[in-house]
Amino acid sequence: MTASPDGEHVGRRMILRRDHIAGGAFAVASALVLIMSGDLPFGTLASPGAGMMPKLLLVLLIGFGAILIVRAGGSPPLAEIEWNDIRHAATVIGLSAVATAVYTIIGFVLSMSLLMFVLLYFVERRMLWRAAVVSVGVTVGSYLLFNTLLKSPLPPMPFWF
Amino acid sequence: METTIDSLLLGFSVAFQPGILLYAFLGCLTGTMVGMLTGIGPLAGISILLPVTFGLDATRAIVMLAGIYYGSQYGGSTTSILMRIPGEAASVMTCIDGYAMAQKGRAGAALCIAAVGSFIAGTFGVIVLTVVAPPLGQFALSFGPPEYTALLILGLVFLAYMSSTSLIRTLLMAGVGLMIGCIGIDVMTGHFRYAFDIPELGDGIGIVPVAVGLFGLGEILSTPSHTVTAKVTSPRLAELLPNRKEWRDSAMPIARGTVLGFIVGIVPGSAHIISSFLSYALEKRVSKHPEEFGKGAIAGVAGPESANNAASTGAFVPMLALGIPTGPVTAVLMAALLIHGVPPGPTLVNDHPDVFWGFIASMYVGNLMLLALNLPMVSVFVNVLRIPYSYLYPLIIMFCIIGVYEVNHSIVDVWIMLIMGLVGYLLRKFDFDPAPLVLGRAAGHIGDHFYDEAQGLARQARRGRVGRSLIALRRGPDAVTPRAIRGLRAWCGNHNLAEIGGVCPVGHTSDFVCLPV
Repeated sequence: MTASPDGEHVGRRMILRRDHIAGGAFAVASALVLIMSGDLPFGTLASPGAGMMPKLLLVLLIGFGAILIVRAGGSPPLAEIEWNDIRHAATVIGLSAVATAVYTIIGFVLSMSLLMFVLLYFVERRMLWRAAVVSVGVTVGSYLLFNTLLKSPLPPMPFWF
Repeated sequence: METTIDSLLLGFSVAFQPGILLYAFLGCLTGTMVGMLTGIGPLAGISILLPVTFGLDATRAIVMLAGIYYGSQYGGSTTSILMRIPGEAASVMTCIDGYAMAQKGRAGAALCIAAVGSFIAGTFGVIVLTVVAPPLGQFALSFGPPEYTALLILGLVFLAYMSSTSLIRTLLMAGVGLMIGCIGIDVMTGHFRYAFDIPELGDGIGIVPVAVGLFGLGEILSTPSHTVTAKVTSPRLAELLPNRKEWRDSAMPIARGTVLGFIVGIVPGSAHIISSFLSYALEKRVSKHPEEFGKGAIAGVAGPESANNAASTGAFVPMLALGIPTGPVTAVLMAALLIHGVPPGPTLVNDHPDVFWGFIASMYVGNLMLLALNLPMVSVFVNVLRIPYSYLYPLIIMFCIIGVYEVNHSIVDVWIMLIMGLVGYLLRKFDFDPAPLVLGRAAGHIGDHFYDEAQGLARQARRGRVGRSLIALRRGPDAVTPRAIRGLRAWCGNHNLAEIGGVCPVGHTSDFVCLPV
């Protein structure tokens, strides 16, 4: 086992770095899409098919991903990436996904009021009445602004708005 | 020159209409706030507020949206100087010396120099835009698919060198953007590409869900509310005037930042961000006292603030004259113009002079408004920062959803925005700049089409040896030059082109329509 100047052990043990994962993810994803692109005709340079541009791009992306992996030595170790905001991110994206799923079913006012209320009251721990007033007030205000003033319709509630 | 002045007067007659003035003011006001608030940059701000402009005509819409863009460059400096919080990325460099000046009790002077520098740079940028864009647009009328393909490739090469991250990371992002641009029906062959039997994907993935997801939602996902704390301080009006030495020390940095920023603005990339970094580095290098940088050097505020404003104006040159976006913000502004039925590019000056000149004139007015807004009203604006982030981000999410849904009334777009938000969050974690992705998406959509058209024309040219003439004809009557007519005449024999006016009767080619001239 030899040691590199910065003290990392080379040979037996390799530290997984940020760019190993990033480059690998891009290369694998691009390869998968390339496999899926089999039915798209490539054509010729003079007469390009629908698949030429995407296939050339995917090959380039695989190449760039590989270069990123090869040059990953200078990037920080994967363990150094801070994930302390992941819970916040997962909560926000999860709640937004639920609101999106019901957006056209229960309408803008109900879905967005609920999304804002849950974020304010349950996630941000704001006072109940304040969370409720802000959620409903802002949503109804926005609905009236877009629907009435800007004539740009938002999904209505099935029974009222 | 006379024509330009006449046209500019037409623009001012449009810009001074009460309705246009109101929307310019609203844009500048919103832009100032967008620039101040953490977690929402100009791109997200413009994208989210895009549906607000749907009920407006094209001139009002573009005047308001552009006002948000250059207004955000003014607003970003306020929080950087007073709180060391860059409201948006272009103001990062202002934090260093601006905040140091604030610590020494010179916050007012720093704010004043930032606003005056921004005004000078913005006005200079608009003057150059006024002079350069129309002739460049006229010149671009002779461009065809081959020239546009070459121009887009050149743009992507510049982008690779001008991005804020490494070359490979930028190319990767631009490549992913180009791939996203490939999704949907290939207009030349009619093939569905990566549509997964989802009809909405047939038209491709719009630029708005991509931009809002990456920059709006992505930023919110990586900013938990407990990490945003803002202790609001504001200077008194009397403290705003710089002393004579500060004026003298800022004159040249403002001039250098203005020219540098405008040039960088024309080049593809995150110009307003890069220009401020370059300007700071330049000022430090040419300064007789480089040791003062970081400790409250006025040049460290004047240069970058002028540069980012000049860059944001410079970015309008390729957008208005060539119809090519140089950054994610101009890509979204282009999408906004298209939504309003006004295609940006060489034909804009001739086909929609009221929009083009009204927009340019409104920028002169807008810069004046921003100067008036940002100096005496600074203590009022900083109160926006008193709104707790925990209340602000649910509101931004709601506007993200409205903004994306309203473009096509498609829930698929909202799902795409959510996916892009997640992608944006992960890209930040892995130190990728999402801006080239948005630019790649914009370039990919038109680049693929231009390339296919260029190849089609090349085929015709090889068969008929009149490619250039056909290329000119293909672009429409405005592009039909005497040279193009001569070329076509040589090919078609002795046909009188004025009598043809339809598909070439001798059937030299079935692909092209001979236009009446």
